[in-house]
Amino acid sequence: MNIQEYISSGIVESYVLGLAGEGERAEFEQLCLQYPELVEARTAFEETLEKFALANTIVLPENLRYRFLEAIDSSPSINQSSKVITMENSQKPVRRTNWLAVAAVILLIGCAYFAYQFYSQSEELKKTNKELQSRLDSTDNILNQIVAEQKVFKDSNVTVVNMVGTQIAPRSSANVYWDSASSSVYLVVKNMPKLPSDQQYQLWALIDGKPKDLGVFDAEQEKLILKMNNTQKAEAFAITIEKKGGNPSPTLEKMQSMGKMRQ
Amino acid sequence: MATTTTYTEHELVSLLKRRDNKAFGYLYDNYSGALYSIILQILGDVELANDVLQEVFINIWRKIESYDHTKGRLFTWMLNIARNASIDTLRSKTYQNDRKNQPMPGPADENMNTQAAQMNIDNIGFRKVLGQLREDQRVLIELAYFKGYTHEEIANLQQIPLGTVKTRIRNALIQLRGYLK
Repeated sequence: MNIQEYISSGIVESYVLGLAGEGERAEFEQLCLQYPELVEARTAFEETLEKFALANTIVLPENLRYRFLEAIDSSPSINQSSKVITMENSQKPVRRTNWLAVAAVILLIGCAYFAYQFYSQSEELKKTNKELQSRLDSTDNILNQIVAEQKVFKDSNVTVVNMVGTQIAPRSSANVYWDSASSSVYLVVKNMPKLPSDQQYQLWALIDGKPKDLGVFDAEQEKLILKMNNTQKAEAFAITIEKKGGNPSPTLEKMQSMGKMRQ
Repeated sequence: MATTTTYTEHELVSLLKRRDNKAFGYLYDNYSGALYSIILQILGDVELANDVLQEVFINIWRKIESYDHTKGRLFTWMLNIARNASIDTLRSKTYQNDRKNQPMPGPADENMNTQAAQMNIDNIGFRKVLGQLREDQRVLIELAYFKGYTHEEIANLQQIPLGTVKTRIRNALIQLRGYLK
């Protein structure tokens, strides 16, 4: 067969435009498998036709597009009447997959939401728990302190010395608790006037008429009971005003209160 | 033609076969004008052409699986779907026209002026170049391509041998091809 003659016979145009008869079509398609130049000629005419058609279009009513897009959106009804079985088969799994995907996405979002909820709830609980723990710790500390302080009052070895104000400070008052067994000295401030920031009160024990430094303290105390320095002996206790940090010997004219042992 | 995406023919076809709605939108935007033109050239009636165009795109959508690229380009395939659908409609319209003096049944149609829906189609698309053919060739193309008659039907109608019909049509097509460039 002379393929060039065949190509230029008009069969290419006739085939492409859909004017070839059944037998002609079958023959043309068969020959296309054998002769690449026939395919080339066909493609060349198709491109000419397409180019011409696209250059000579008609502007169509805008609403037509929506009618079409609407129609393919409601596709299941269109597809049901399909004659092409392969298409129905390929269509259905796609739709099923879509529903599965939609369900999966919804499930995923739901899970993520709850996971986030639980996570933030647990974080909040952890935080609250920590706060409660630290409050419990500090309460325990305070309680232990109070219990320890309580013991001092109850101990039978403890002597209570009531310190009364002197003439220069008649309203000053405090109690000294002296444990003769352990030599411990505790002080309970009841009412001591506030001092300038460069001054502190100092507690003294008088032993054989000589003062012994028992430590300094401020007028305002967080603690109910102050642990002072130990002393094995004491005839009396005295409180003076001294410079901050205390003095080695008392400034007696600044004596605020005094208490003698009742022996 | 608001779409900015462009596809190669291969990409477009594989997207269409996967029922990609965006690809169908692209197809519609780029080819509906050309297909509408061939439908109008065959039917010459805007109302009917609107319906047929709709039908054609739905058919493309339904039949895209059966499109075989080894047998031709996508546009050729769509053009033939449009032509076949138009010729089918033309034949049922001819049937309806035989009874056209009967009153219209059903709800009142909105196209009161059916005349306005008729369109002068001599100067659109392929018909534009058809006038350059000799009269006898033009008639054959009109009958074969735009009316959808088979070669045998034309031979009977025109009282000429089948072989002559075939040769003349092919020669006319070769000439037309030259005018398309």
